[in-house]
Amino acid sequence: MRKLKWMKPTIFAFGFVAVLSSCETGGSNSNTQAVKPNLDSLELAKQEELKKIFFSIPAPMEMAALIKDAGFKFDPAMLNNVENASKYTGELKQAVNLGVFGADLSYSSMFDEKQKSVDYLAAAQKLARQMGVDDALKNDMLERLQNNQDSRDSLLAIVSEAYTDLNGYLKENNRVEVSALVISGGWIEALYLSTKYSAGNDQIKKRIAEQKYSLDELIKYFDKFGEMESLKEMKADLLSLQKLYAEATTTAPGATTTSKDAKGTVVIGNSASVSLSDETLKKIETLVTQIRSKYIA
Amino acid sequence: MKLIRFILPLMLLLPVMADAQCRAFTKNKCLPLLDGYVQNENYNSAVLVPGDEAELLLTFYAGKEYRVVVNAHPVLGDVEFEVVDTNDQQIYNNKNAENKTIFDFKMSNTQQLIVKVRVPKQEAAIQPEGCVTVLVGFKDAK
Repeated sequence: MRKLKWMKPTIFAFGFVAVLSSCETGGSNSNTQAVKPNLDSLELAKQEELKKIFFSIPAPMEMAALIKDAGFKFDPAMLNNVENASKYTGELKQAVNLGVFGADLSYSSMFDEKQKSVDYLAAAQKLARQMGVDDALKNDMLERLQNNQDSRDSLLAIVSEAYTDLNGYLKENNRVEVSALVISGGWIEALYLSTKYSAGNDQIKKRIAEQKYSLDELIKYFDKFGEMESLKEMKADLLSLQKLYAEATTTAPGATTTSKDAKGTVVIGNSASVSLSDETLKKIETLVTQIRSKYIA
Repeated sequence: MKLIRFILPLMLLLPVMADAQCRAFTKNKCLPLLDGYVQNENYNSAVLVPGDEAELLLTFYAGKEYRVVVNAHPVLGDVEFEVVDTNDQQIYNNKNAENKTIFDFKMSNTQQLIVKVRVPKQEAAIQPEGCVTVLVGFKDAK
């Protein structure tokens, strides 16, 4: 049975083009054996094509929720300035900062900062326009955000929709490498923000350590693009962070147990854990601040 | 050759159209299933056919309550979804829960889990295809 990694449609195009190509060859060659498509290599190519598209996104929204739940106050000074949106040129900076503004949008909406959320969605739309992917974030979304000034749930729902549209659009238009840069920008911003709140908060420190999982997955995603020029610089930055994360202390997962709490909700757990020394945490904070500064400058 | 020149661009457009349908399916039929949860920015939707399998590795954080939604177009039948840990130990299978499209749970520690999706095989001569979407939401403390 085939094991598919998202997404399928690309396969159809690839497969169909390959079949058409072989049909054309067939027209000039009477040897049917020679023109038969090599199904094994076709299948392999399909799998490779699929692998490039499959990915689980690290979630800045969850990091923002943790910061809020820890009782911290919203601090706009820590976010990228929306005025910077117009100064970014070139795909690398534009895509990374689209992710940065996305994470800042998540952070603002989680803290129910409505005007800031509007500002960050507008900044993200501006960048999307500059990148030629303005269909990714529909104009009416900004109006809806402005008109939903009273409901935090609506605010979060619109932000969710914005992510669905952006990620969906980039996949639909085969701009997954741009998507990789956007995701990286969002992850870096969320990591940067959490390090700023980590002093004296063990829960946030733990969550920063657990970003090791997301970083490993993110780098695997980059690996699927090979040595694509537009991704080289970001990949090198992520690898330098991964080098620091290699200093983490990890405990193997062991057997997973499930139980039910008083409300009947399934509770899942095992022995997996990851932690960082204060020294490594400091090094990660310094490095992620440097990387972020380079991209938002 | 003329036919190819006509069909080729059309066929290249088809995946884009199918993906756009999946985006609409996700927004209209799947996001509402996360009511009461905050979507965690993951968007995974694909056009699958009977017999297809897909899987997704996700990180879930300690102390949080989650909802995983696996929703498929009805033409694909009762799509099976399973949650396993990284040692392939089964935690949940919707076949044991009346083919529910949602699974709610809480994490006692942070760990990675894999969501596996299987589209049932069909005997029909013409195999249907349809969107399958996986979404994750977490409970907001407010």
